[in-house]
Amino acid sequence: MAQRQDMDIQTGLREVSGTGKKPVFSDVAIETIDLNFFYGPENRALKNISIQIPRRQVTAFIGPSGCGKSTLLRCFNRMNDLIPGAYLTGKVLVDGEDIYREGIRLETLRRRVGMVFQKSNPFPMSIWENVAFGPKVNGERDPAVLEEIVERALRQADLWDEVKDRLHQSALDLSGGQQQRLCIARALANRPEIILMDEPASALDPISTGKIEETITELKKEFTIVIVTHNMQQAARISDYTAFLMMGELVEFDRTDALFTNPREKLTEQYITGRFG
Amino acid sequence: MRRRAQKSGASAAKSYWGFDEYLKRAERRDRLARYVIASGGYGIIFIILLILFFLIYQSFPLALPASVRQFLSFTVDGPVSPVLMVGSDEYLQVAFTLNDRGEIRFFAVHEDSIQRIIAPAARLPLNGNEKILSVSRASPRMFRLAAGTSQGRIFSLEVGFEVTYQNGQRIVRPRVESVRFFQAESSSAEGVLHIEQLIYRQTEEEYELWVWRNHAGELHYRIEDEFGNLLYSGLFFRPEGEDRITAMAMNEAGDVLIAGTNSGYLHWFDFSDPAGVYRVDRWHAGYEPVTATDFLIGNEALIVGDAAGQVSEWFRVRTPDNVFRFQKIRSFHPHPAAVTRIAVSPRNRNFVTVDRRGNVQLHYATTGRTQAKFRSAGEQLLAVQFAPKSDAILLVDGRNRLAIFRLNNPHPEVTLKTLFGRVWYESYPGPEFVWQSTGGTDDFEPKLSLVPLIFGTFKGTLYAMLFSVPLAVLAAIYVSQFAPRRLAQVVKPTVEIMAALPSVVIGFLAGLYFSPLFERHLMAILLLFFLFPFMLFAAVLIWRLVPERRRLTVPQGWELLYALPFVAAAFLLAFAMARPVEASLFAGDIRQWLGDVLGLEYDTRNSLVVGFALGFAVIPIIFTMAEDALSNVPASLTSAALALGASRWQTVRHIVVPAASGGIFAGIMLGFGRAVGETMIVLMATGNTPILDLNPFNGFRAMSACIAVEIPEAPVGGTLYRVLFLTALLLFLFTFVINTVAAVVGDQLRKKYARF
Repeated sequence: MAQRQDMDIQTGLREVSGTGKKPVFSDVAIETIDLNFFYGPENRALKNISIQIPRRQVTAFIGPSGCGKSTLLRCFNRMNDLIPGAYLTGKVLVDGEDIYREGIRLETLRRRVGMVFQKSNPFPMSIWENVAFGPKVNGERDPAVLEEIVERALRQADLWDEVKDRLHQSALDLSGGQQQRLCIARALANRPEIILMDEPASALDPISTGKIEETITELKKEFTIVIVTHNMQQAARISDYTAFLMMGELVEFDRTDALFTNPREKLTEQYITGRFG
Repeated sequence: MRRRAQKSGASAAKSYWGFDEYLKRAERRDRLARYVIASGGYGIIFIILLILFFLIYQSFPLALPASVRQFLSFTVDGPVSPVLMVGSDEYLQVAFTLNDRGEIRFFAVHEDSIQRIIAPAARLPLNGNEKILSVSRASPRMFRLAAGTSQGRIFSLEVGFEVTYQNGQRIVRPRVESVRFFQAESSSAEGVLHIEQLIYRQTEEEYELWVWRNHAGELHYRIEDEFGNLLYSGLFFRPEGEDRITAMAMNEAGDVLIAGTNSGYLHWFDFSDPAGVYRVDRWHAGYEPVTATDFLIGNEALIVGDAAGQVSEWFRVRTPDNVFRFQKIRSFHPHPAAVTRIAVSPRNRNFVTVDRRGNVQLHYATTGRTQAKFRSAGEQLLAVQFAPKSDAILLVDGRNRLAIFRLNNPHPEVTLKTLFGRVWYESYPGPEFVWQSTGGTDDFEPKLSLVPLIFGTFKGTLYAMLFSVPLAVLAAIYVSQFAPRRLAQVVKPTVEIMAALPSVVIGFLAGLYFSPLFERHLMAILLLFFLFPFMLFAAVLIWRLVPERRRLTVPQGWELLYALPFVAAAFLLAFAMARPVEASLFAGDIRQWLGDVLGLEYDTRNSLVVGFALGFAVIPIIFTMAEDALSNVPASLTSAALALGASRWQTVRHIVVPAASGGIFAGIMLGFGRAVGETMIVLMATGNTPILDLNPFNGFRAMSACIAVEIPEAPVGGTLYRVLFLTALLLFLFTFVINTVAAVVGDQLRKKYARF
């Protein structure tokens, strides 16, 4: 097997490709090994997925509806545990640690792997309380520290200037785009290593979407971001790597520019050129 | 393609003959549905308003003031012989007067006139210039009279009314019966033998008793047995110095005589032993001469009027040194002039006072209220009496004019103060809140304070809520947030079945089965209050000792099973420890100990049992509403919190419970409303004692239970009947307020926390 070694120009990340189909990295944030996910014995949603998510990059999952991209994403912070009757086989490693082994503390895992949902879901509390919720439940009590965390998270989510004068008003009075950025800020306040985003802009207007995308681009300097999107342009615009899933299978995973300009798989090409989907 | 669809749609509409018809029919149905639904809604509001209106309609007459109106007046005979006594039969068809020449005249009273009845007039056999100076009635209920003359004789007689029916008409035949006399005073230095003042009583043993003040101011008495044999007689009091007896009163039982003097003293003589009449006490009633005094029905309450027009009520109260003394209880609206006469109602605590200038005032003793003030035409009223049904007042003035005043006063015993304030009832040590609506005798004083009932309602509710709120809310949180689906599917319908259990069954079980059981195992149950949380706490501590790795393998929600043995252990331990603990710490009998040491009386049917039983009825309401509210918190919020690394409990505490707080609160208030209105359980399991005591070990009487118990025995339209309706109105208002608060606060909470 020929070893191909490229250097990512921007980050200096070493990409180590083993199979020629999927990039392999030296600095891996998340790795799955032969991951199968079942919503029930009859309903296999993910089929033998093995993928490596590079650290401090934006990785996008694309694919038609029901292809399993959200399911895969939710395996990374075990949000699928809430679904009765669902189970999986294979391994999911975060920083090399199997997060499905017995005795894993979900609270710790989820603090490290934050998540932003498709529909913005701020708590019915003030803006400040929303952002401070994560640090608080994770044991941070010092008000000064909390103030600092909240401001930092809101700045990172590019929301600070808009809300700094009304931090103690209800988060539900914000606009849809602001609410979603608040949810990003809320996830950031936990200082996670990884942020999972499940179609974060799908319910938003183009201007809000643009803002969210800017935010994401900012954030990748510091965080590993995995984003699910059904908007291929968005994936092309913001991600460094893109994985194309279909029918629960990982069809192709490559650098975004490579995948969109020169897909190796016929299915990928058909999908990105809009023949189906 | 689009054009084709349009075309085919249009042609279908045109070609289908019933299409317009169909639209119209749909519209008609829409309208009909709207009307039916709207009428249902408005109907409910209308019915509730109707109930409210009915309750107000039934209880409103309590607030109506007494009305007195002059009905008839008639000149008895010339002003030559002043009338000393006036009276009537039960239905005010025949009235009579007795004048100072011993003439008894009868009058037929019609709606619009009075006629002298000539025929049965009677006359006492007085000597030529003998005059009647004093008259007394044996009881306010009948006209057994005694009359003292200027020649030392005392006549006894009875004015009776024989009732017959002719052609459905009530015919009253008055007659004068059993006239006799005895010579009370026979010797005097000046040759004057005046019976100045006279009291006449018939005791329960059918003894007859006369007490009189003679021309010399001495008090004499005479007692005869039922056959007219003299038992005792003699002089028993002679005032000293300037003192003169100015007024006398004796209670109906004939054992207490009160004599008032011109210096404002009241002397109390005891007649319970006819052989040994003695003065019990003497006290200063005021600085003015006592000018009139009388006892109300019921033998206890004394009304005293003085020369300054003051009117006051007195009765015996136990003093700290354990003797009874007359004490001034309350004063009534004073007269502008000396009180000359007092007439007491034969039915209730009403009495009338008359002053020297002819002012008449109607008072009610229990309430302390002066209900009416009026004047008869002439000044100087000679005689005043209530009609036997207390529905009229008969007055004779100085010009011998008989006036009859109709009295409309159906609910004199009710004022805001008697309903909601402390009232000093006869023979009570002080003002109190008392509910005691009926008594053994007719001259019972009704005590209609609603405070014990309101207190009882809220006492029962308090203990029920203490038991049910934590249990129901925590169960709802567990079932909706933690319990495995299979367990929840069992628990939810089970709790809902609890709601279907008739409250009479719960009440029956609580009152007849659990109360005795509770009493027998009181120690164990009290121990359980400590052992249960203690064992659960111990269970948690031991759970913490299990390595975290192992703990996390237990599926969420099933941890509860692990706690079950500890609960069972708590029960076993409580029952095992009960006897030794009771023996060593509580002198062998916890109930005795509660009473002796803490002063908590223990009743079999007590608030704790009711708390459990009523709580049992309330739990399903709170649980169902709280569980619904908690389950309706969107999963997106829970997911968000969990994704932020919150534990399950943190998520519930900080996100789910606040978001559901509106529904939980509404459930609690609904349960509260249910507990306030609940009847059967409190009726059967409380003992229904209307006491004001928060002690969990004795009972109470709730408003609802009181209505259920007493309404069958309350005469329709009577005071008790209306007071019970007022209670119902209050209950209605309470539940209305509670439900409104539940709705408003629930809405506020929902607006604040549940905008999703």
